[in-house]
Amino acid sequence: MPKNTLKICIGTPCHLMGASELLELIAELDQNLRDKIELKTSHCIDDCCEQAPVAEFNGRIYQDLNPEKLYKIIRNNIR
Amino acid sequence: MELVFEEFYRSIPKAGEEVCGDNVEIIKKENKTIVVLSDGLGSGIKANILSTLTSKIASGLLDKELPLEEILSTILATLPVCEVRGIAYATLAFLIIDQKQQLRLIEIDTPSAFLFRDDQVKKLEYQEFELEGKKIKEANFKFQRQDQLFLVSDGVTHAGIGGLLNFGLGWSGAAGEIERTVNKNQENLKDSINNLVKIFNTFYGDQAGDDFTIIGMKYRKKRKLNIWSGPPLNKEDDKHLAQKIYNAEGKKVISGGTTAQIASRELDEKLEPGLKYYDKDIPPTSKMKGFDLLTEGLLTLNKVLSLLKKYKPGQIPVAGKDGASRFTRLLLESDSVQFFVGRAVNESHQSLNLPINLGIRSQIISQIAEQLRRIKKEVKIEWF
Repeated sequence: MPKNTLKICIGTPCHLMGASELLELIAELDQNLRDKIELKTSHCIDDCCEQAPVAEFNGRIYQDLNPEKLYKIIRNNIR
Repeated sequence: MELVFEEFYRSIPKAGEEVCGDNVEIIKKENKTIVVLSDGLGSGIKANILSTLTSKIASGLLDKELPLEEILSTILATLPVCEVRGIAYATLAFLIIDQKQQLRLIEIDTPSAFLFRDDQVKKLEYQEFELEGKKIKEANFKFQRQDQLFLVSDGVTHAGIGGLLNFGLGWSGAAGEIERTVNKNQENLKDSINNLVKIFNTFYGDQAGDDFTIIGMKYRKKRKLNIWSGPPLNKEDDKHLAQKIYNAEGKKVISGGTTAQIASRELDEKLEPGLKYYDKDIPPTSKMKGFDLLTEGLLTLNKVLSLLKKYKPGQIPVAGKDGASRFTRLLLESDSVQFFVGRAVNESHQSLNLPINLGIRSQIISQIAEQLRRIKKEVKIEWF
């Protein structure tokens, strides 16, 4: 069972601001890293649509993401 | 049990041609359906124009409900005739079926229709007469509940020439293929048409030697679809609306992430948002017990609207696994569509400054309803 949980918002604002690219990043992750993460999607995370796209990694919310930022967050916080 | 008459067709252009020289026009009216098939002489754009011209004139006249003799003589007088070969530039077949299931079919220079009845394909009984020097075949019969009727252009009866066969399938060969295909799956006409196109194409070695078209028709039970989109203005309506759609008869769709969350909360059912992007422009669909489809809201609805605008009656609905394609298919496969539309302003969308025509749910849904009415679907909208 993966120890880390990543939730990516796919609501309309997050989709428009690039949620699909975040999902693509996860699909392209190194298999070792990918196996440690349980991936989910959500229709809204914390109502912070103005800072889309939004994701939640291990309980912490990150806003205004792009694939590079998300990759760093995963790298730095993976358990 | 309420029945509706359904029809599907596919037209395949001759290999190497961009457009098909056959043309189909289907007109749905309150009390009848009109189907017209025309095959232009030759192939390519010239044939396409000839068949379009012929079928448009015919369907236009039939739509105006003029007496049949008058329609026929007008068409025959206007049909262009090839000066060199002395034959008409386009063939014509058309039929009218009314509410009493009484069907009248007229054929001019076209292969005889195929009637599938009691697990067998049969030829219809025709009366022949002459008008304006043309031989015309007419058939009148009562279309039974289990019947299926197929009209084809001669590209089907010639299938195989230059491919697998020396002389083509012929009428009885095509009848055999239709009988075999329909017997495998009598319920799904759309699949039968798709399979038959594959079969006829194979006889041509996947390089169609002529344009070919096949139209299938049958009766089926009326289908209902219920759609909920948007949170209601009054929060007290949440529960009421969720229960209402959950208990409605027919298939159920929710369009909108927030709406799906409300339904999940009020019905106490688990909502599983999807992960997979089948189309980069359309957000993934979700799953929830009791619902056939859950999509994102605004972008999906806009895409559905643009797909519906392109749709011509009788066409086989778009393929595609993304939310908008699946939603469009459900709409096109249904006969009566009930919308439940919430009018609460979605705060999250305000931050996006969307163009006004993209952003207003009620407008998009009204336009979708208008498109559905154009193709004679029964549409009801309730606002909350």
